[in-house]
Amino acid sequence: MDVVPASVAAPPRSAPPGAERRPYACSLARESARPLVRDPLRAPETLHPSLWLAHQLGRTGSDAVATGFARLDAELPGGGWPRRALAELLLPHAGVGEIRLLTPALIAAQRAGRLVMFFDPPAALAAAALAGLGLDVEELLIVETRARVVPGSDSLWALEQALKSGHVGAVVAWLPPRLRADRLRRLQLAAHQHDGPAFAMREAAVAGRPTASPLRLGLQAGGADRLQVRVLKRRGPPLEAPLSLELPTVLSAVARRRSGSASERAAALHAATFVDFA
Amino acid sequence: MLWVALHFPLLSLESFAATLLADASEADAEPAIALVDEHRISAANAAAQTQGVKPGLKRATALALAPRLTLGQADPTRDAEAMLTLAHAALAFTPQVSLQPACEPGAAADTVLLEVQASLRYFGGIDRLLQRLQQAILPFGHAVRIATAATAQGAAVLARVAPPPHCLNLASTRQALAAAPVWLLGPGREHWEALQGMGLRQIGDLLGLPRAGLARRFGETLLVDIDAAFGRRPDPREAIVPPRLFESRLELFARADSTEQVLHGASILLARLVAWLAAQHAFVRRFRLLMHHETRWQQGDRTPQATSLEIALAEPSRDSEHLLVLLRERLAQVQLPAPTLEIALQAEDIVKRAAPNSELFSTRQSENEGLTRLIERLQARLGADQVQRLAGVEDHRPERASRGQRADARGRPARASQRGGGRARGTDSRAAMGGSSAATVSCASHPVWLHPVAEPLAERRSRPLLDGRPLSLLSGPERIEAGWWDAELAERDYFIAEAADGALVWIYRARLPLSAGDESGWFLHGRFG
Repeated sequence: MDVVPASVAAPPRSAPPGAERRPYACSLARESARPLVRDPLRAPETLHPSLWLAHQLGRTGSDAVATGFARLDAELPGGGWPRRALAELLLPHAGVGEIRLLTPALIAAQRAGRLVMFFDPPAALAAAALAGLGLDVEELLIVETRARVVPGSDSLWALEQALKSGHVGAVVAWLPPRLRADRLRRLQLAAHQHDGPAFAMREAAVAGRPTASPLRLGLQAGGADRLQVRVLKRRGPPLEAPLSLELPTVLSAVARRRSGSASERAAALHAATFVDFA
Repeated sequence: MLWVALHFPLLSLESFAATLLADASEADAEPAIALVDEHRISAANAAAQTQGVKPGLKRATALALAPRLTLGQADPTRDAEAMLTLAHAALAFTPQVSLQPACEPGAAADTVLLEVQASLRYFGGIDRLLQRLQQAILPFGHAVRIATAATAQGAAVLARVAPPPHCLNLASTRQALAAAPVWLLGPGREHWEALQGMGLRQIGDLLGLPRAGLARRFGETLLVDIDAAFGRRPDPREAIVPPRLFESRLELFARADSTEQVLHGASILLARLVAWLAAQHAFVRRFRLLMHHETRWQQGDRTPQATSLEIALAEPSRDSEHLLVLLRERLAQVQLPAPTLEIALQAEDIVKRAAPNSELFSTRQSENEGLTRLIERLQARLGADQVQRLAGVEDHRPERASRGQRADARGRPARASQRGGGRARGTDSRAAMGGSSAATVSCASHPVWLHPVAEPLAERRSRPLLDGRPLSLLSGPERIEAGWWDAELAERDYFIAEAADGALVWIYRARLPLSAGDESGWFLHGRFG
């Protein structure tokens, strides 16, 4: 009997704060047994799952969706893309590797038998390329909302309906530029009903402005088949250095080596050598 | 035999009030409404009666008493249509539904009779059945009195007694009938004075009298009615059959200038449609709303006579709320060329099937249904072509290799059930998918984003520039040469290039730069997302 209390004795105060937390009721029960062990007022982050210390990552529970990139998972609260919240991704332009970044989460939604919806993609999508990434194009719906007369409102109406319905597995929306903050907040509220990841793609210029979204990432191409992710906002301490993620490769190994040495540009391919004998 | 009678005492008033627009009724608590037939008031609602308007008054007198009285023309066809809808709603409970003809000639029927003996077990007893019956007729907003009796005629008579009794066997039916006032019998009404003078107030008083004398004084029909009500004489009723095609029209009291006002009338018609569908256990797949416009005075006015709005559903439905949402989204886009006077709803494309199970918790099926509705709603507002599904096309030219198809929400549940049906089959299809992706392995080096029109790139010393900065070619060429069979011949060498910021782009140049004419030079065709 002696061993048990010794083993459950709380870690010393200086224990790493990211260590496992116990539920409140549990720690209270222990306290009645050993009054000096852990005071909820001194460790307020144990009171409620949405409380955390400024140097910790927030805990959203276990319902985050793994991103498929271990380094990114480690830096996101809950270890993945948030559910029931809109994650903002800021892109300088389409085609920096954003689809390859999201693909693992979208595939996971499709594997669960749910639908993926794209709202207002900025260019035409190639079905074969999406299938090559592992997505099932049959389970992907593309909604074009900007063909109608009223520019901003309809796009958000459709997106809001999709988020509110709660029947869509994952949502990726390319939002119109210069979107008002209250509209975004409205979408954020609608996303509470949406049991799955939701991504809003926005222009990079909004990085300086505040956002209602709990997660905001800045994406940038970081060389061939690499993506630089800056965590601009998260529930946790700010992350200074950008993460460099290795994306699923487009290039062959030879071409990648060529890209690696592309800094001197001397070894870059000359098109003329291939074209002229045609 | 167990008969249920639904008596609607204020049917004609209420069916007129329904055509009034909602905003008119919001002005004051309850507007005074009366119906006029041949310059005399034929019916008045409670608000009008407190102001002294009574049936039988002249129109001018009534208007002098209540200046803000809303007067409507009594219309037996409108009443008959409302009645038919109620009968359709009742058909969901038993196939034996008939209308009790009105006592006075010329007046519309106001009582529906249902024979429910055979349905009792299914609905779990008469109490539950009556409860559900009341819920079914609730959307029409009519005041109703419900009586139960062992005979059809008896139920029709007892439904007019206040409060209506519920008699489950013949003995109690006879007992309740004997205590009912004698004028409730149709032929008794015209002889009411004489009967009262003889001290015959209740139906029971007539029973002891010699039959021959009664027949001679008050007519044979009085005896026939009494015998039918007391179950001493067969009383066959003809069950109504819902029409094969649904068509219902509604004349709006005030002309509707906006689609919002049309929607109010359309919601009444939709409730009728849903009742008709429920009567034959069917679901509608396509229906049409016709709006008849006011004809203009001017010569040569090209205003169309009517606007037609066709609504097709991906998944057949009879949920009035969902149908109304779809109709609202479609109506919001319509610009009415002229004020609408009358609307009509038609439906012929229906599907007969069993009612869906309702579940407490969300399941795969309910999620699919919700998804179908979401897609329908988006399509109703944005246009059907704006919600698309990608499909691969067997073509080497990248701009033709995928095509957006109008999303068909109906295809989904079948696929889902197939997937749930057997794991072995699911893995088979996955393996087949893997096989096909292995066959088209080269597509992994094709970009996700395609520019709809290839963008010409500037060139410096035969190197392509993007945004003024040189691109470095990393991989290629990949030659795509196809389309000689149609006019869009493509002979291109594609390269994967790295832009200055590190993003990968897909560029091409014509295979024969010299012969290509204005097609020479570099083009940006896609980006690797």
